[in-house]
Amino acid sequence: MPGASAPGTKLLTSLGSASLRALASRTLAGYPGDRVASEATGRATLRNVRRAFAIVGSLLLATHAAADAPARRIVSMNPSLTRILVALGARDALVGVDEFSARQEPAVASLPRVGGLYDPSLEAVVALAPDLVVLVPSREQRDFRARLEGLHIPVLALDPIGFDQVLDTFRTLGARTGHEDAARARVDAIASARAAVRRATAGQARPRAVFVLTREPLFVVGRGSFLDEMIDIAGARNLGAELTETWPRASLEWLIAAAPEVILDSDSDPQPARDYWARFASLPAVAAGRVVAVPAAEVTLPGPDLDRALWTLARALHGDSLSPERAP
Amino acid sequence: MSVLRPARLAVVLLGLCCVVLATAALGLTAGPSPVGARDALHALLDPTLGGPAADIVRGIRLPRVVAALEVGACLAVAGVLFQALLRNPLADPFVLGISGGAALGGVGVLALGGGLGLGYAAVPPAAFAGALAATALLFGVAGLRGRLSSTTLLLTGVVFNAVASAAIIFLASLGGMAEGTSIFLWLIGSLASAHGELLGWIALLLAGGLACALPWARALNLLSLGEESAEQLGVAVERAKRVLLFSTALMVGAAVSVSGLIGFVGLIVPHALRLVLGPDHRLLVPAAALAGAAFLALCDTAARTLLPGRELPVGAITALAGGPLFLLLLRRQNRRGLLP
Repeated sequence: MPGASAPGTKLLTSLGSASLRALASRTLAGYPGDRVASEATGRATLRNVRRAFAIVGSLLLATHAAADAPARRIVSMNPSLTRILVALGARDALVGVDEFSARQEPAVASLPRVGGLYDPSLEAVVALAPDLVVLVPSREQRDFRARLEGLHIPVLALDPIGFDQVLDTFRTLGARTGHEDAARARVDAIASARAAVRRATAGQARPRAVFVLTREPLFVVGRGSFLDEMIDIAGARNLGAELTETWPRASLEWLIAAAPEVILDSDSDPQPARDYWARFASLPAVAAGRVVAVPAAEVTLPGPDLDRALWTLARALHGDSLSPERAP
Repeated sequence: MSVLRPARLAVVLLGLCCVVLATAALGLTAGPSPVGARDALHALLDPTLGGPAADIVRGIRLPRVVAALEVGACLAVAGVLFQALLRNPLADPFVLGISGGAALGGVGVLALGGGLGLGYAAVPPAAFAGALAATALLFGVAGLRGRLSSTTLLLTGVVFNAVASAAIIFLASLGGMAEGTSIFLWLIGSLASAHGELLGWIALLLAGGLACALPWARALNLLSLGEESAEQLGVAVERAKRVLLFSTALMVGAAVSVSGLIGFVGLIVPHALRLVLGPDHRLLVPAAALAGAAFLALCDTAARTLLPGRELPVGAITALAGGPLFLLLLRRQNRRGLLP
């Protein structure tokens, strides 16, 4: 899988450069008392002293990255990252979020908003004086990230694609916010749920499944994403994995020909999934009544509730045959 | 103007009919799955037949091929008529802002429909309503003083399209990631969501458009001499414009509401046909219907089959296939010195 190592490397490099910049800018920002000494004559000297401090400081401290103090003023630009931060107990460190976070996560609905996916507002972010901006480096936000870094605002770019990468996101965010213990606890809970779901579905037949994200256009879960792995863990074969992309736009004819025994459908269209797919009577999933609507918000976001999502998927795939004493 | 011999008309149209049938047959037998000609024939001849092959042929390929034929015909005929009526070679079905209205209606539902309990099924009706509203606006603004001036029509259309695309961008930025993607794909145009129920309506509006256009074909020929000259030669120019613009607007609205904005068909097919067949609208209008249908059906088959299991935007294929073909024709005619 060629894409697997790239985000990891990206994560590491962005982490490295971001923390260096964080240190440099924190040193540059100086001490609260600085602002009192505001004689025009002293400014140039002060600037030089600060610059020297910055260089020496960042060189010294870069070697002791662990001594980095937790971020206290965080702006989150992505709903999944926001939910993880809230779940880890870092709600109080959040000072601003994007529109979608505010809409999806009630705990941050009252925070200042800094724009949406296509129109993040640089000024709104800078005005909040964050000591960390967390984002997923999407096409729309790539330029945004460079501009933030140009203004010496530390940026943590996380791009969780695989299941373990999502767990790494917990650890990274936990470390940066001083909530390592909470992060460890969440990772452990998800890891043990993963093992439990594997055990619970071990004896079951593994149905051939397609996970429909949206119907028109038809997007399915492809290869290499956390959802691809979760379908496997929950005891099914993801047919979308043969399309090689992470989130491929599939053709309807491919889906019919693939003849899935289960269709998981997370589209939010008001027409029920069962009715929508009923027009293709040849689908084994339709014939067997195994078209299952899956709540998108609960399952398709790489958020903090992956343990619950795993059980939801396992129940959607195996229904009553999952022994109740094992399934919480 | 040369005389159009009935024999030539018959030969050209018959030939194009064969091409349409061939592309339809190809569209029905080709796809990402191994369902081939024999299965397709079985599924079409025996409506009681079940199974994946029947679902694929009757439930997916047939509505798509029919949609491609209808939409292609609508767009190409609309292109011919707008180019003639506005006497502007750059006119295409989208130039008068009708597509902008349709797009605004469709995108409005895609972006905001979720909150109102509207789903995919509401997109085509909303798009058609948008097209009707845009047509009403066009006639209201450009036809206010009892006379439809080509310049005013074009300006109204261009301005309305600009306003509509600004509004679409605004709506897209309100929506989330999923809405953004579906809006983007709708704007490039796709026939993937063609359902059987809508195709009857498009066929009806296409037939209506053709029924209005064919009797006026001779008038369109005279119109190319200029509106005043045509008037002097006995053409009811104002009436021709109103009837044809309205019926064409309905046709474009129907096509766009089911397929989104598929570009190039309405611009390239009419010009290519003019280069090959000459400027007589008595031949051009029916030929455009057939050639547009065949061209879009072929492009959509390519969109479905080039990458196995994946969907390519048919609008990109029409442009990639149509552009070079058109330039080739243009070059050939230039060399022969046939262009004015």
